[in-house]
Parts: sequence; structure tokens; C-alpha cells
Amino acid sequence: MTVQLLPVATPRATRAWLVAELTARKGSAAVTLVAGVLAAVASIAPAYALGLLVDRISNGGDAGAVIPVAVTIVVSAIVGGVATTFGGYLISRLGSRILADLRERTVATALHLPARVLDRAGRGDLLSRVSADIAAIDRAVSEVLPGMISALLLSVISLVAMLGIDWRLGLAGAAAVPLYVLGLRWYLPRAAPSYAAERVAIAERSQLFVESMQGLPTVHAYLQEDRHLDGIEGASGRARDISINVFSLYTRFVGRINRAELVGLGAVLVIGFMLVRHGSVSVGAVSAAALLFHRLFNPIAMLMVTFDQAQDAGASLARLVGVLGMDVERRDATTAPAGRELVLDDVTFGYDGAAPVLSGVSLRIAPGEVVALVGSTGAGKTTAASLAAGILRPDEGYALVGGVPVTDLPAAAIAIVSQETHVFSGPLAEDLRLARPGASNDEVATALDRVGALTWARELPDGLETAVGEGGVQLTAAQAQQLALARVVLLDPPVVVLDEATAEAGSAGARELEQAATAALAGRTALVVAHRLTQAATADRVIVMEHGKIIENGPHADLVTGGGRYAELWAAWSTRS
Amino acid sequence: MSSSTKSGTAVLRRAVVRNGRHLWTGTVLAGLYQICAALVPILIGVIVDRAVTTGDLAALILWISVLVAMYLVLAMSYRFGARHLQRAIAEEGHRLRVEVAGRILHPRGLRTDRQAGDLLTVSTTDADYSSYFLDHIPRVISALLAVAVSAVTLLLISAPLGLIVLIATPIVLVTLNLTAPLITRRVTEQQDQAGRATSLATDLVTGLRPLRGIGAQDAAADRYRVVSKRSLAATLRAARAQNAFQGASAMLSMLLAGGIAIVAGVFALSGRITIGEFITVIGSAQFLIEPFGTLAVVPRWVAAARAAANRVASVIVAGPILPDAAADPAGPQPGLHLAGVTNGPLKNLNLRVRPGEFVGVVTCRPADAEALMRLLAVPDAYEGDILLGGVQLATVDRGRARRLLHVEPHQTDLFTGSLLANIDVHGDGADRLGAAVRAAAADEVADLHPDGLDAPVAERGTNLSGGQRQRVALARALLAEPPLLVLHHPTTAVDAVTEHAIAGGIRSLRHAPGSGFGTVVITSSPALLSAADRVVLIDDGAVTAEGAHAELSATDDTYRRTVLR
Repeated sequence: MTVQLLPVATPRATRAWLVAELTARKGSAAVTLVAGVLAAVASIAPAYALGLLVDRISNGGDAGAVIPVAVTIVVSAIVGGVATTFGGYLISRLGSRILADLRERTVATALHLPARVLDRAGRGDLLSRVSADIAAIDRAVSEVLPGMISALLLSVISLVAMLGIDWRLGLAGAAAVPLYVLGLRWYLPRAAPSYAAERVAIAERSQLFVESMQGLPTVHAYLQEDRHLDGIEGASGRARDISINVFSLYTRFVGRINRAELVGLGAVLVIGFMLVRHGSVSVGAVSAAALLFHRLFNPIAMLMVTFDQAQDAGASLARLVGVLGMDVERRDATTAPAGRELVLDDVTFGYDGAAPVLSGVSLRIAPGEVVALVGSTGAGKTTAASLAAGILRPDEGYALVGGVPVTDLPAAAIAIVSQETHVFSGPLAEDLRLARPGASNDEVATALDRVGALTWARELPDGLETAVGEGGVQLTAAQAQQLALARVVLLDPPVVVLDEATAEAGSAGARELEQAATAALAGRTALVVAHRLTQAATADRVIVMEHGKIIENGPHADLVTGGGRYAELWAAWSTRS
Repeated sequence: MSSSTKSGTAVLRRAVVRNGRHLWTGTVLAGLYQICAALVPILIGVIVDRAVTTGDLAALILWISVLVAMYLVLAMSYRFGARHLQRAIAEEGHRLRVEVAGRILHPRGLRTDRQAGDLLTVSTTDADYSSYFLDHIPRVISALLAVAVSAVTLLLISAPLGLIVLIATPIVLVTLNLTAPLITRRVTEQQDQAGRATSLATDLVTGLRPLRGIGAQDAAADRYRVVSKRSLAATLRAARAQNAFQGASAMLSMLLAGGIAIVAGVFALSGRITIGEFITVIGSAQFLIEPFGTLAVVPRWVAAARAAANRVASVIVAGPILPDAAADPAGPQPGLHLAGVTNGPLKNLNLRVRPGEFVGVVTCRPADAEALMRLLAVPDAYEGDILLGGVQLATVDRGRARRLLHVEPHQTDLFTGSLLANIDVHGDGADRLGAAVRAAAADEVADLHPDGLDAPVAERGTNLSGGQRQRVALARALLAEPPLLVLHHPTTAVDAVTEHAIAGGIRSLRHAPGSGFGTVVITSSPALLSAADRVVLIDDGAVTAEGAHAELSATDDTYRRTVLR
């Protein structure tokens, strides 16, 4: 299957989103800007005042000449300190609030993407967007953005001040600007692919490392330690070489920044020299301009070297805004279905225009009836189950519960548990509460008890509050599947679909899981894709599928004696014991 | 802990010694760079004094040339100095990483309590932070040089001014740094919360299918929103502290530089110093804030590097689990004999596998099977005897032991590559490949893909189903042809028909008449058990029954309950 990546917003769409966010927070944005400008003005005022002092000194002024300068400096320092505090905080606040809003909407959208979109795109792309991209913007907003904005304001206002001292001195300083721009234009297009290559190399290194560590028993069993170590050493060496090369590029970029500094500073001094010779400006004015310019070295260098981080954050932003624009599937209907009968009516379905996987499938499950669906691999059982549960939409025909299309049902009306388990990271009770937020401890315990999981759950280090999943206690495949069934019990839907929900457990655990499944299904209308025929044998009725069609349908006993496909499957299964 | 602190320091010391050439070359050049940077404000003052004030064109040309020449030195010393340092840092990070990986992958195991995720952090972040120590040395030295140049200049211009700068600047910076722990705490809290939000998003999207299955997307989105809001609050708390610091820092450094400028102004007005010297004082006082700032934060950097180095050292100095052993059991096809083995749940376990025998093992408790597997793979901390070909397993050379006694874990680990690379691990099984793949029913896995055995395997085999992974892993174990093979629930995710075929496949591949291979399968699958020569039932850590599958199913209730459905 070819992977189609999720959409990325165009630069224009990203800009439009950003403008809209800022417009929505107009007042806050304006106050932020004012505070930033005030901080920049306050920080250059002393240099300006000192320039005036230089003239007083050249003109042989008395000691009292220092007093207005001193007052200016003290006032600027106080105003500047306060404005820096508030300006910086307001920038962080504005950025973080926009980001918080963005990440919440992105995750909510991601969680509501239609199943098929995600199947086509693969989960990796979405995962990297909700983790790496959000983290990249978060870092940029909290570490880079405030500094960049204040450096930018300081540069602009310093330049304005230099122009104010004398327009020719201002222009001399401005001579550095094109050199800074050229430096950036030289560096950015080279840096982006280099940093991307570095990230790939580091990711490859981590992948090899994680694989080797997680597969350590196998690595040992096959005496593959040296080979894996060589692989890690090779990947780590590649990452090292790339990082050295990338850095060498960076040092050349810094060289270009230095060049711009020299040209700007030299121009201010030389032009200043000529202007002073012609008597059109004072020595103090030249000194003030030179000092202002020298003060800009660090902020501008900071601005330049963080530019690529800002650019990276921009790329991440485009990827998140791209997700925001995707169509989502929501099942927030509030009307409950009229009955509990599950019906597939003449359903045909194919993936992406390929030959139909199901054609003309009709089945009817009475309220409270448990029907097992069996057949060999590729018969279309999982597709039928997904259609019945509303995960997929039929190309033709209907999937109905109580006469209402399943895709229009409220979320709690039908549940599907598949072979793919996931233990949500955090306290075990919270994992269950995803099914019913606000369920009491008793309700959670009752649900666990019903599927036979309460005993082992209570024996965990902190009982039901034990952290499980990633970073917590690792549960076995069978325990994870019991949790999945317990969630269904807690959700309490009238209709349930189980898709090989007991397949991953070991043979020893399978029987317990089957009992858990039976308990979870009690009183519900159920379609069970059965991997183990013991499960089919206990169902009210068995449906056999082959090549996307239903070929047999009836109670277990009838089909076994009927001598058809099911009888064959049963015979093979029975010889197991 | 003190021993690991000592070894952390040793790791840093070794880093300095083994990267000496690049480190010291880089440090000298970085120092030169910093001296040049300190000279810039001084030169501005000189140019104003000698050229701008006097209108002397020759002086202008001379001193602008000096400025240009100095910038050339500055740029070049940075460029090459930084490259030497980066090389040293990258090389050291790489060497530490490989060293850590080597310890983790050591054939005799690594005695550590750290989890896999933690070890990954040691090999990445901690190795990096330890190597950054090589960056701290040149920074400290450069900062000291810059301070020295500016200080000498200031003292030469005016002793009182110089003293004010040199005393007041460190006091202001040290005062500001008093807030550092608060900011560090807030920032750490912010990063923790951001990390928590990221993990939650990853976790929820990873579990999207099960979530969707119970219609819990809204509940999940709500849960994320709560964590995101918490992260926002932590970010704002950190921003408040950081910006208060920034503001105070801006105010104090402006007052400091301004105060010095005012005193210098008074001196200049009274003619004690020239205009150029006045400008130099202003520029240098401003410039000095940076190197002093570096010196103020260095202790924190070094502490971080040492903490990281301690963690790296704790892995590097941790010993292997198993002792160095060199014994070699005689004979190409040894038997396995466990006598009175006690460890964890196992109590006085006796089990014998003779050459050529196919033994099924049924354990009533999963823990018994796991303990048995663990002991056979890593014979550590048990009582009793585990004899391989009559020799204590723990004393056998590890490589030899693993070649003779292959323990295939239940948790199947596949690696990025192709099916073929995963199955023919040693790359020498081409002629036996077909038979092994068929016996494990892995040919069906290959047939599903147009590239057959060259089909790609994704990281950890995630592109295969559980049953497919099991069959690939089994083919790999069969192809290795170990004299003794131990399998643990090898067919749990495989359907009934295939399971039957696999039982026959193992039997015909390893136990044809006259074969000396021994096979142990821990399982509760009747298909596999009925293919075995003999079945052993383990209950409560010891053998409670023994016999053929058919016999035990007829006579033993516990056996029937455990195996039959």
C-alpha cells in the first residue's frame, strides 16, 4: 500500500491562520507590541545620552553636565526593566496561548480522523505531528520567539535612533543589513537539508539502539551482539560525521555575521570621521552611533542563529495547520436507536476502488443474540466487522442498528474490540474511564470483576491506581485484552462487535479470555469474529464467510452435521485435542 | 553513590585526555577569538580618539586597517577553533554511546536496574551532556581571558574605574544568579508538563483504534485538553520567573554600565581621561557583562555534565551478570539435565532432555515457564545443577553455550531488514532455508508479499501480524539448527490448521530417525504436545507428572484442565 502523507498547509494558509489567531487576540497583541517597543527604546536611550555627553566633554563642559545624562540612564533602566519584564511575559503568554489552542485542536482533529484516511497515511506521520511538531513549536515559542522579537525590535529602533542622530550615520550602519541578509540566504538553504540529514541519522541511531535493547534476548540467543554493536557504531559514526559537517557550515555562517559587523562598524566610523571633518556632526554623535551599533552585535547574532529554529517551527506549524483543515468524522448524534437489532443489508465494500472485499453481504442479528463469524484469512470477516461497527462506511447497502445507520449512532450505542490492544498509559482505572468518564471506583471495579481481571488488578503494586502502559507496569497481551473488554462493560453498549479479540493470548490464557468475552457480551447483541472455533461453538449462531460472501449460516450443531465448509474447519480444529 | 560520582569525574577526565589535541587547539583558538572580541570596544575608543577627534586621515587608515586585521583573526580563530571543539565533542559523545551500547549488549549481560527507556537516555542525552564538558573548558578559559584584557585596559585608563567595574560586575551577576534555582525549577516543571502532554498525545494516537472502537475520542480529547492546559499554566509560571529575571537583569546591567559611564563621564569632564578612553570604558563595561555572565552560569553547566557523566559511568562500570567461563561440554549433541533446581517459583525441579528427544513441557503457572526460560538463557542465582552435556551451564563459555543450547524467547523480536535477513541470521543457511521456512509455515508469510522472502520487515516487525512474527521467528530458530532448542509458546497467535502443520514440521525437521537434536517446547497446545516424544507437567515449580500426551490426557486431571479445552 502506498503511503499518502497527511496534508501540509501552504505558506499562505499558515500565514492566514496566524493572522486570524492574532486578530482574535487584537488587544493582547497590541499591548505586547507596545511593551516591546518601550523596552527597546529604554535600552538605547542611555547610549544616545552618552553621545551627548561626549560632546559636552569635547566642548569642555563642567561636571554638572553629567546630571541630565545620569537621570536619563536611571529612568531608562527602570522603565526598561519593567517593560522587559512585561513585554517578555506578554509575548510568551500570547504565543503559548495560541499554541495551547492549536495543539488541543490538532489532537482533537487527529482523534476524529476517519479510519481509512489514517490507514492510508499510516500512523507514523500523525504521531510525529502530535508529538515532534508540537514540541518543536513549543520550544520555539518558549525559548526562541521572545528573544527574536525583542532583538528585532531593538535592531529596528537602534537603526531609527542612528538615523535620528544623523541620517548619513544611520545609512552607514544600515550598510550591514544586506550583508546579514546575504548571510542568511547563504546559510538557510544549506542548513535545512543538513539538519534534516542529521535528524534522520540520529533517528536511525536511536532505532537501532532501541531495537537491539528490546530484542536483547534474541540478540544474545543468536550471538548477534557484535553485529548489532557494529550497526549502532556505524549509525552513531554517521550521525557524528554529519553533525561535524553541519557545524562547519554553521561556523562559516558565523564568519558572514562577523563580516557584516565589521562592514557596519567600519562604515559608521569612516563616515563619522568624514562628517566630523566637514563639521556636519559632532564627535559625540559618531560615538553614540558606534556604541549603539556595537551593542547590537549580540542581539543580531542571536536573531541570525535562531532563524533556522524559527523556520523549523514554521514548517511544523504548517504541518499542524494542515491537520486542522482535514475532514473529521464525529458521532455525536443524541437520538438513541429504536431497537437493538444489528443488520447488514446487501452490503458491498472495496478498499480504494479495488475489487470489492465484500459483495452483497446481508445478515441480521436479533437483539441479545450472539453470532460468530468464521472463515479463512482474507474472507472479509474483519471488513464485515468494521462495517457493522461503523468504522467503515459501506459503498453500497446499509449497516443498521435498530433501523438507524451505525455511522449516525451516538458513540455509546455500539462498540468494537479488535485484536489490536493498547494499554493507555497512566493509572489503570483511568484507562477504563476513557469508556465512561466519571465512572466511580466501584463501577470500575465491577467492570474489571465481570471480565475476571479484578484479582490481578488488585494485586498490582498500587491496585487500580497502578500506572500501566508506556512507562508503567507492562501488562500481558491477555491482560490488555481483558482491559479492552472491561472498557466495553463500563461503556455498556447494547451492541458489541468482537474482531478476533481473543486471538493474541497464549493458549493457556485463551480460555480465560473467552470466558471474559462471554461475560462482557451477556445481554448484548453481538457479532464475534472467531479465531478459535470453541468460541463459535458456544455462539447462538455461526456465519461462515468465504471470498467476501456468506456461504453458511446456522447453529453450530446444524453446520457440523451439515458437511459443509464449517464441518471441515471444525474437524481440523477438533483434532487439536 | 560516591563510587559512581568518582567514576563520573573519571569519565570527564578521560574525555579531556583522549580528546586532548582537538580540545587544546580549539581552546587556544577560542581564547584568541575572545581576546579579539574584547578588543573591539577598545579599538572603537582608539579610532574616535586618534582619528575622528583629530581628523587625521593617516591615523584613520592605520586604525581601520588594524580593525580589519583583527576581525580577520577573530573570524578565523572562531571558525577553526569551534570546528576543533565540535570535533572533540562529537567524537566523545560517539565513543561514550558506543561504550554504553557495548556494555548493554555484552554477551554476559549487564547487571543494572535501569529500564530500556532509561538506558536509551543514558546513551543519548547523558552521553551528549557528558561530552559538552569539552565545551565548558574553552568557554571558561575564554571568559577569563576576555575579563583579563578588559580589566587590564580599564585599569590602565583609570585604576578607580577599573576597580569599580571589576568589583561591581561580579556582584551584580552573582546577585542575579541567586534566582537561578527558582528559574531552573520552573523550567524543569514546564518541560515535564510539556513532555507529559506529548506522551499523552502519542499514547492516545497510538491507541486510536481501540479508542474509536468504544467511541472514546471525545473523552480522550478532553483528557488531552486538561493536560495541555496544565502545560500552559506551567509555561506561564516559568515565563513569569524568566521574564522577571530578564527585566531585573536588564535593569541592573543598565544601571551598572550607566553608573560606570557616569563616573567615567565625570572623569572625562574633569580631564582625567580622554574622550576615546571614555568610549572604551563604556564599550568595555558593556562587553564585560557577557564573559562575567558565562562565568556565573558555568558551575551549573559543569554540574549538569557531571550528573550525566555519573549516569554514563554507572552503566560503564556495572559488571556483567554472568562470570567469565570457558568450559566446553564434550560431544556435538549434548543432553540437558536440570537436577534439584530452585529459583523463584521453581522448587527442586528435575528435568532431563536426552539427545534426540522431543520433550513437551506444560506449566500450570506461567511464572514457572518464565523462570525456566530465564534460567536456561541466563543461568544466574539458582540452587541445584543445570548440566549441559554433563557440565555446569554457568561455567560453559557463553558463546559455546548459546550455540549448543538455543533458547528462543516467546516475545518475538524481529529487526528492521528483510524476512530473509531475519530468518537467515548468520547468512549461511541458503541450502537449508527452504526446509526451515516450510517447517515453520513461514512460507505462507513470504507468499503474501510479491517480494517473497525479500519482503521488508519494519522496525521490530510491526508490519507483520503476531502470528506472522511467530512463524518467522520459528523459522529462524529452526534454521540455526541448534543441538538443543527450547521454544516457549511458539504458536499462540497461529490458527489451528497451521499449528498442526508446524508441529509436524518441527518433528520431521529435527526428529527424523537417527537425529540427535533435542527439542523442548513449553506449550499448552495439544497439537505440539501430541507431536512430542514425552510430556512433562510442571505444577508449583516441580514436575508432577510425565508421560505421552495421550496417556496424560487420559489419566491426569490437572493436565487435562491445563491443556484440553
